[in-house]
Amino acid sequence: MPPTVNMNALRIIEYDDRSPGDPSTRSTGLSTVKWLRDNLCSSWFNGFLTVLSTGFLLLVFRSLLNFIFSEQRNWAAVKTNLRLLFVHAYPEEQFSRVWVSLGVIVVLAGLSLGLSARFPAIPLRRIGAWFTTSGGLVVLGLVLMQPSQPSAVDGNAAMSERYLWLSAGFILIGLGAVFSSILKQDSRGRVISVAAIPFAFAVLGVLVAGLWLYPWGRFSFVEGEYLQEPASTVAMSTKIPWMVMWLLLVLSWFVGSVLRPTVISRILRLSINVLWLLVPFFLYWVVLRDPAFDWTHVWSVDIPLALSYAIVGCFVLWFLTRPAAGEFERIVAVLLLFYALFNWVSAFFGWHRPELRIFSYFLGSVPGLQNFLDFLDSVPVLQKERLTVLFLALAALLAHYFRGATAQRLRLISGWFGFILVFNYLVTVVNTPSTIETPTDNFIGGFSVTLIVAVFTLLFSFPIGVLMALARTSRMPIFRLLSTWYIETIRGIPLITILFFFSIMVPLFLPDGMDLNEMAAIIVGYSLFSAAYIAENVRGGLQSVRRGQYEASNALGLTTGQRTAFIVLPQALRVSIPPLVGQLIAVFKETSLIAIVGGFDFLRIADNVIPTQSEFVGARREALLFVSVVYWMVAFSISKYSRRLEKQLGVGK
Amino acid sequence: MLRFSARRLWDIVFALLLVVCLALASRWFEWSFRFSVVSLLSVLLVVAWLIVSGWLPRHFYRDVVFVKWLAQLVALCAVIFVLVFLATQAESNLEAKSIQVGYDFLDINPGFKISEGIDVDPATGGRALWVGMVNTIRLAIAGIVLSTAIGVFVGVGRLSGNWLVKRIAGIYVETTRNIPLLVQILIINAVLVSLPSLLPLTKEEGTVKTGWMFISNKGLAVPRVFIGEGFYQWMMFVLLGVAVGYGVKHILQRRKDKTGCETYPVIGFVGLVGFFGIIGWWIHPMFAGVGSVFAVLSSFIDSRSPSDVRYMVSALAIVLAVVVIVWKLRMHSTPMGLGKLSENDYFQMIFAVISAGFAIYLVSSLWPGLASWIHNSTRDLFDLLADKFGGDRTGQPIDAMRPNIEQPGKFPNYGPSGLNFSRGLASIYFGVVLYSAGFIAEVVRGGILAVPKGQTEAALAIGLRKTTMLRRVILPQALRVILPPLGNQYLNLAKNTSLAIAVGYSDVVQVGQTLYNQTGRTLEVVSLWMCFYLACSLSISVVVNFFNLRLKIVER
Repeated sequence: MPPTVNMNALRIIEYDDRSPGDPSTRSTGLSTVKWLRDNLCSSWFNGFLTVLSTGFLLLVFRSLLNFIFSEQRNWAAVKTNLRLLFVHAYPEEQFSRVWVSLGVIVVLAGLSLGLSARFPAIPLRRIGAWFTTSGGLVVLGLVLMQPSQPSAVDGNAAMSERYLWLSAGFILIGLGAVFSSILKQDSRGRVISVAAIPFAFAVLGVLVAGLWLYPWGRFSFVEGEYLQEPASTVAMSTKIPWMVMWLLLVLSWFVGSVLRPTVISRILRLSINVLWLLVPFFLYWVVLRDPAFDWTHVWSVDIPLALSYAIVGCFVLWFLTRPAAGEFERIVAVLLLFYALFNWVSAFFGWHRPELRIFSYFLGSVPGLQNFLDFLDSVPVLQKERLTVLFLALAALLAHYFRGATAQRLRLISGWFGFILVFNYLVTVVNTPSTIETPTDNFIGGFSVTLIVAVFTLLFSFPIGVLMALARTSRMPIFRLLSTWYIETIRGIPLITILFFFSIMVPLFLPDGMDLNEMAAIIVGYSLFSAAYIAENVRGGLQSVRRGQYEASNALGLTTGQRTAFIVLPQALRVSIPPLVGQLIAVFKETSLIAIVGGFDFLRIADNVIPTQSEFVGARREALLFVSVVYWMVAFSISKYSRRLEKQLGVGK
Repeated sequence: MLRFSARRLWDIVFALLLVVCLALASRWFEWSFRFSVVSLLSVLLVVAWLIVSGWLPRHFYRDVVFVKWLAQLVALCAVIFVLVFLATQAESNLEAKSIQVGYDFLDINPGFKISEGIDVDPATGGRALWVGMVNTIRLAIAGIVLSTAIGVFVGVGRLSGNWLVKRIAGIYVETTRNIPLLVQILIINAVLVSLPSLLPLTKEEGTVKTGWMFISNKGLAVPRVFIGEGFYQWMMFVLLGVAVGYGVKHILQRRKDKTGCETYPVIGFVGLVGFFGIIGWWIHPMFAGVGSVFAVLSSFIDSRSPSDVRYMVSALAIVLAVVVIVWKLRMHSTPMGLGKLSENDYFQMIFAVISAGFAIYLVSSLWPGLASWIHNSTRDLFDLLADKFGGDRTGQPIDAMRPNIEQPGKFPNYGPSGLNFSRGLASIYFGVVLYSAGFIAEVVRGGILAVPKGQTEAALAIGLRKTTMLRRVILPQALRVILPPLGNQYLNLAKNTSLAIAVGYSDVVQVGQTLYNQTGRTLEVVSLWMCFYLACSLSISVVVNFFNLRLKIVER
């Protein structure tokens, strides 16, 4: 064996992302030199690599800066079109709706943050390192950047701006040095840290305060001339709403963290999770879309229908959950399921309420009832009725688990009541036309549409995906075959072909009197696509559940449903969190494909709309760069958060 | 013997009630409804009778097997019902809009030109789609090669001992992975658009200018290596060398195992293949006669009728089904006779029979054109081979050329001698490659990190050199982890080439879209897209699985 082991060979294999020589873990000035020697020039090849990559980095940084700060760049194209980029043609006088939606999300986010476990504190030393790095980058950029040709008129202004940037860079470096050398430890040698969330709030607060200090972003122009009114900049018109958002965030976080140790925190957390599920529907269809209700129809049809189904369902479920419930109740539930499926069969053959005729044969002689049955016969069957009956059948199948104590029965019944009311409300809202008038098909566009499509796709595809994964791992051959075919077919073809198919072909497959908005068709297609991938991710998790878990739950006498819901799925989903977050990011990124099939999403506006405006002809690169930075920030922060979540849940340990 | 317990009484009452319903229902409804109710109730009656007479257990519906199969059949019926419903809707809607259905558009002139590909002016719609498919396949293969190279480079860079290199690789990965591919493609396209245009050639340069590389807003032109006339004959030579080399390697390896003397089997193999390749460079025309063999095969196929193909496919389907059934039975046979078959085995056997029947039905009556299509395309394939191996092809196997700029009229353009990336091709190619490389880098890094530290330490402890350790200890173990996700990335890359439509490169999606805009046959084009991409995905996974099996740990 050679006397010395080449340490570089060992360094190829490292478990942790951070090597022992990472600057954030070094402590004294002497080791800085050692660190440099170890990590940058331990051998002649390593030194050569260092020189090469330094040159490469400087070149890339310089050309990026030269591109961004070139005189030919038309950044006004982005600043002026911020509204277009984020909400497209949403009417300006209705903007309060957008802010309200954002406010609801912000409040929920703040409460969730406050109620969740404490985030780790950031050592002041690391904040100092951030400051130093950013200051260093500013100074380096000023040195590297190609000097702009100062014209005779504003040459002084350019120079003074340069000095401003330079001093800002040095201030940042100085602050960083102070943080990381003087303030890093207190007098007793403990590391000083800052709590993560307040620090993030402070940074956001500085950004919001910036709107009050620097009125940037002129956004209106008339015939190529910018309006010079002082109040018409992006900063001026958004500073108050952003301030309110920030205050709401801080306040709700504060409320959440005060309530965290109390008794109600558990129920609060649960209800906030339910709200997170409901909020996308509510915000999109109610707040943003502002449905124009036909109140006479609502009072005469929708509300009575919902109430009667809810109440009848309550009685049925109350009956099915009797303490003495047994065989008969199960048969009733199964018959209900068959009846629910039969509803669609009879719709397919055009039979109108066949069950009414049986009633009227037996009960026709009861005074007044025949009139009621005739009335029912004259009312067309709505799709939501068929769906409600199906839900009732599913609830009846579940009723077995809730039989016995009154509290338990009441829980099922109240759940049913609430669910039916929410369901009917949403269906009514979805079927009501919008009052928002815009020149495009969809009332909102831009980044909002990107977010909305991503959120709805995830909401719809997750349950389908989990069901598919269960079917694929089940021992029942037909289920397994169907889901395997589905998953493998979908995974074999590109998303764009599915989006084309759904955006063009969906009207062909719908029955008369039913129509689907193009965006909705795209969401349906995208959900079906994404479900196949989610199914594969969940399947990986399902396979990681040990056989002993199945055997133990069988030994305890759990049914298949109970075993799946309470033993297998929780463990499987925990394991599949990392790939599921990867899928979430993929879904978010691939919403950009909507731009190809003709929706006005974030990318389409940057790529097609802005460069065709007469003021900003050809300003495509600027807009695309802005768009990519926004996409990057969202995707990167999700992936960072998921890594934290993985550590927190101890996946793989 | 009948014993009337309370429960059985209840069963009978239930059945009688249903009979009453049946009788009542049959009085009011039209035929189809009555028919369905009658058939449903008669099934129920039979079941009730079976229970009463003791053939079926009384609570058969609580039996797990019964419930499972009932649920599956109901689900299957629901799926079929939904599909039939959608199909009938589509049919009536298409009729109402008087849109024709069918694949005849593949045989008529599409009426448009394709900007680049093996045939820029296709004669039929099918040919146009084929040009798009070839473009996609080319893009995918070239993309896989380059993105693997970059990905491995960056992935190893992320584990480098050099801090700066590690950070640069990290920035690369985080940037490419977190920006949508479409945005990256469009950015590359926008950058290419903003490049200066080609300068008109001066008088001294004439009408052609040759160089090593050109880049302009028309795209990119680099030197091209291409297969020459005698490539296929030469390839035969190389294959012969591989066969001989394989045998020699086997012999050498056996001697090495027996005697322990170093016989260099791998070097012998590579040397022999190289030797054959070099010799073949000059004497490859001796294989020119192979072409006539293919010509004979082609004329033989031509002399048969398409109905022969029909019989052959039917026979093949039957043989396959029989093989599956026999295999299943043999797998469960014991010295005592046939073992117990599981539900799943029965299902697979029934499924084999059903699919064989369907295949026969498909070629014989459902789609009669299929047999003649198989017949024609096989003949065409052999014709093509006869041409490629033809006697008159005596040129060099491989050739290379530098790119040039031509100026036939007023405006200069890239000439045909170089490898030209048009703007669309360059954007989609480099976009897809750089994007996939980020993911491949993570796969490579994860694979290397997955090798336990103890392996390295053990290798160093027994005194292996660093290169030997990498080659013999780390890489074999890392590859085993890397390969499955790498295959996934290749599949993604192949599918991502469909974004070419955003920059106007004529891949299969773009050509298909133009085709259905012209003919209105959206459904048909989408089905062809699906078949094509499924075939691509299947071939990639077959290749990856082959290597995966080779690398698998051989367990006892």
